[in-house]
Formats: sequence, structure tokens, C-alpha cells
Amino acid sequence: MDRKELEQQVIELVAMAYGKDVAEVNLDTSFADDLGGASIQMVGLVSEIENELDVLVQLQVAAACKTVAELVDKVEEQL
Amino acid sequence: MSVLDQIYAKAKANPQKVAFPEAENEKMMAAAYQAGKEGYILPILVGDKEKILALAAERGYDAGVFTVVDIHEEGYLSELVAKYTALPDARLKEKALRRRMQDPLYYAMVMQAVEEADVTFAGIDNTTGDVLLAGQYIIGLQEGLSTVSSIGLCDIPGFEGSEGSLLAIGDSAVCTNPNPNQLADIAIAACNTVQSLLDWEPRCALVCYSTLGSGQGELIDKVVEAVKIAQEKRPDLAIDGEFQFDAAINPAVAAKKVKRESKVAGRANVVIWPDLNVGNVGVKLIQQFGHADAYGPMLQGFKKVVCDCSRGAPVSEIVGNIVISAVRAAGMKK
Repeated sequence: MDRKELEQQVIELVAMAYGKDVAEVNLDTSFADDLGGASIQMVGLVSEIENELDVLVQLQVAAACKTVAELVDKVEEQL
Repeated sequence: MSVLDQIYAKAKANPQKVAFPEAENEKMMAAAYQAGKEGYILPILVGDKEKILALAAERGYDAGVFTVVDIHEEGYLSELVAKYTALPDARLKEKALRRRMQDPLYYAMVMQAVEEADVTFAGIDNTTGDVLLAGQYIIGLQEGLSTVSSIGLCDIPGFEGSEGSLLAIGDSAVCTNPNPNQLADIAIAACNTVQSLLDWEPRCALVCYSTLGSGQGELIDKVVEAVKIAQEKRPDLAIDGEFQFDAAINPAVAAKKVKRESKVAGRANVVIWPDLNVGNVGVKLIQQFGHADAYGPMLQGFKKVVCDCSRGAPVSEIVGNIVISAVRAAGMKK
């Protein structure tokens, strides 16, 4: 999977976990400022990444990401 | 009969299946054995069966008290995986689930999720964070809630409240600085907890330094907003505020300060603090000046009872917490 495909997959998973439209999420989307979800949504996101990409990103690692782009970096490191 | 004696009697009348993923731990095994032998629970030890049985024999326990589940046994593992992944709200698919179930904590919670166990009890070898995380992954939160929190039950000598000497308080342990939504969740979950554990009709007060607008400021705004959210989410529950602590629990003070109808003012049996600073100081004041026994913290907000015990707790305290968890689990089935 190339970087572009991975970015798109993660954006889709973020949108699903936070109940947003895919068009509302991009690489610069901030978890705190734009999504503002509870930790339970981040748990859902990490689970979906594990299910769909077969990559285990620890919750505390994902929770430390400020933007979607940073999360993509973390997923890429585990691939 | 003390509140704890009543809870012990309830547990004995309807023993629940409690899964222990830290079964090899000496204190945990001792507590599971004691609670099982006395008939309060049906203990299920989850882990490496051979090792657990060897340790039980070495420690002089009658293995007949326990059911031992071997996490390496493929048949039962497959059965659990199939049942769990068929649940409509299962977060993890088979591959991810199997990976996590190598950890007895996750294994035990999967057993609980598919009703092979009623409670998961851990917290000595795993941190509170580990237990909360596994609970969120596998058990999930109650419908409409997005916050894990805790309450404690205080038995305060000389206090004559609406439930005698008892008062439930929360959150004094988990949520540091809850926002209005989280505070509303804590109040709703606390009502559910006291209903399941004590059969109370909850009357829940959200407290701060103002009673119905007597003070102003952002610390109060948060509580006012939380009351509104909680009442909208669960109009069936008696949740009210914002009240000062005395207006919440003392009918004479409430009569002076609360000039409108309230099912809660002056008669609250559940008090929700605005943040963890207040919660921690509050519970210490009750213990130090009120000479209260405080039971808990009990985790709440999960769909089923997930229990985290203090690492430093003696076996007797762990047994008490196991029994409380079991009674909550039985209450949640009603």
C-alpha cells in the first residue's frame, strides 16, 4: 500500500470512528480542535485500524497524535 | 446489619461468576478462594491452567472451589471468539481479538462480554489504565455514555440522611476535570450503580459553591450545563442542581435555599462533585472528620461490571470489593 492509499484509509477510519463525513476530515484535521471526541472514540479508531490494516497502534501513541497526518505516520511505522 | 453485611448476604443468595485474570497473583488467588469458599461468588481463574493448579496446590487451596480456564486451550478460545465477533457491537475482528486474548485480562473480559462470566476482577498486576482500556475495548460503555468514572459508598456515623448513614459520592477517583457532558455521564452512571448495588431510588445532586444561581462563574456554569444535559438525557432519573453540598443533603438548608420543587434537594442519596480536586478532598474530609468507612471506588459507565482494585489493598478489602462487584452484576441483570 502506498502512502496516498494509506492516508485515504486512515481518513475514512477517522471519519467513521468520530461520526463525521469523509469530506470533513483531512490530513490537517486536529483531533482536539476539530473532532473533540472522548477517549472512547479513540479506542474505536485504534480498534478499526487494527481490524482493517492489521496494525496495532497503542492507544497512548494514537492519543498523542495532534493531527490525522501524525496518526498516518504512526500507522506507517508499524506496517 | 451494616451495609457491607447486607451486601454479603445478597451475594450469598445469588452468587455470580467472577473471572480473575490475575489468578497467579498470591493475594488475588487468596481473595478469590476466600470469596468462593464462603459461597459469595463462583470464582473462575483465567490463565495458564497447569501453573494455576500447581500454585493452588502449593498454597494449600482446595482446587474444587475454582473453575480454571486455560487461555491456551484452542477449543474454548475458538468458541469465545465466535461468540464475541457475532455480537452486534464487537469492536475487534477475529485476528485482532485473538492477538489480544493472549493476555488473560482481555480473555476474561471476552468471557464476560459473551456471558460466560458476570464480572472481571483485576488491578493488582495490571494498572488501572490497563483495566480501563481493556474494558473500553471489550465490554464497551453503557448506551448513551462516553465516560468511565467511579463512585464510592460512605457509611458515616451520626449522619442522618435519606438513606440513614449512607451516602454515595462520585467521582473521587477517575475523571480529573470533567466537562459538562462528562459530568452528566458521571451522574447518570452513578444513578445506575446505586440502583443495581443497593436497590435505591437514586436522588442525585450535582454540587458546587452555588445553589440555583446564588453564585456566578465558569466553575458553576459547567455544573449548571451538566444538570441540563443529564436531565435531557435521562428524564426518568431524579438528577438536580446546582446545589451547595448542605442544600443537597440537609432538608432544613434546602427549605431555605431551594425555592422550587425538587425531588433531590435536601434528600440527595448520590452527590456528584464538580471535579477531582473537590472529590478527593471531599472523601478525605468525610473519612477524617466524619470517621466514615468508604467503600470503592467502583468503576462505572461500562455495560457490565469491570472492577479495578487497589494494588496495596489487603486480602480482606479485595474480598469486599469482589463481593460488591458481584452484587452490582446481579443487580444489572434485573
